[in-house]
Amino acid sequence: MDAEAMKLLAAGLSMGLGAIGPGIGIGILGYGAVQAVARNPEARGQIFTNMIFAIALAEAVAIYALVVSIILLFVA
Amino acid sequence: MAKKKGCLGCSFPVAIVVGLVILAVSVVSLLGGAFGNALFGDVGLPEWLSVSAPHPELPAATIFHIGSIPFTNTMITAWITIIVLVAFFYFGTRNMKLIPGRYQMIIESIIGYILGLCQDIAGEKYGRKFFAIVTTIFLFVIANAWISLIPGIGSIIVHTSEGEAELFRGVNTDINFPLALALVSFVFVEYWGIKTLGIKYFTKFVNTHKLTSSIGKLFKGDVKAGLAGIFYGIIDIFIGFIELLSELMRVISFTFRLFGNMTGGEILLLMMLFLAPFLLAIPFYGLELLVGFIQALVFSSLTLVFANIAVSPTHAEE
Repeated sequence: MDAEAMKLLAAGLSMGLGAIGPGIGIGILGYGAVQAVARNPEARGQIFTNMIFAIALAEAVAIYALVVSIILLFVA
Repeated sequence: MAKKKGCLGCSFPVAIVVGLVILAVSVVSLLGGAFGNALFGDVGLPEWLSVSAPHPELPAATIFHIGSIPFTNTMITAWITIIVLVAFFYFGTRNMKLIPGRYQMIIESIIGYILGLCQDIAGEKYGRKFFAIVTTIFLFVIANAWISLIPGIGSIIVHTSEGEAELFRGVNTDINFPLALALVSFVFVEYWGIKTLGIKYFTKFVNTHKLTSSIGKLFKGDVKAGLAGIFYGIIDIFIGFIELLSELMRVISFTFRLFGNMTGGEILLLMMLFLAPFLLAIPFYGLELLVGFIQALVFSSLTLVFANIAVSPTHAEE
């Protein structure tokens, strides 16, 4: 396998594997938020804001993977 | 597609024309993109309809020099954003009335929304204090993200001394800007922390209180409590070290979150335009509008949350 093919493979794997964890995390967060809203519909706004923060923190991990992929594809 | 009379608020002929245009655009979009080329081969569409594969470049291109300072295309967009924001808020608040008009209402609701957010998270007293920086970050990030989403803004090409370059490019996609914004946020969080708590602020990072007091206990003869205290004291010092590290990691995390989201979004749009021009990119435009808002909200409110943590006194001292 030459270096170019390796680079493409690494970029794809980095993004794909890096998205597993955040995907599970955001799924759990969404589950929790929907359940919370179902139990207490009045607190919708606050739950939504908190959910967005938590999602942003979970999503940051996927973003790191994306940055690694972009660097592998276009810079390295 | 069955069309009723007066379909979608248009009269019958107008609806047919609109439907035909949408159909034509879909056909062209299916044939002209990479999907069509793979499915049907080259059907010989004119040159200007086909979209070439995108080659995203991460470093911003230099457009011109002022003295010896290189002026990049992202800086042009940043200044345009500043001018747009200043003009928007200057003309909206120039003659304010007690009963606001539509324009003043927009501005009041934007400011009210962020002020409400600040006071929700940081409380009445500190919310007002953090408000200026948080609002600036929020408005700049969201305005820049949306300005760089205006269709066609990335297709203005200028010729520079180093070849062709786009005239405008969203400043969030240049790694230097998110880094600068993250540093601003970091510096302000530390400043507020030190200003509010004084020297006590640093006990969060260098927490030797428990260790020294339990060494004192050991000398007074209370061996059991002393040894346990020394053990917990060492853990406290270690936690302080981790706290310091996470404080510094925030800058990196802030930088790459904004940069990655915005750059990823831009590349996503370009790729969708390449796969099937016109049609496929439209849903992703909507997504990018949402992402711009959420990233602005996340950047500003994480600054708010960290500032709130910094000004609340630590529970370490008993």
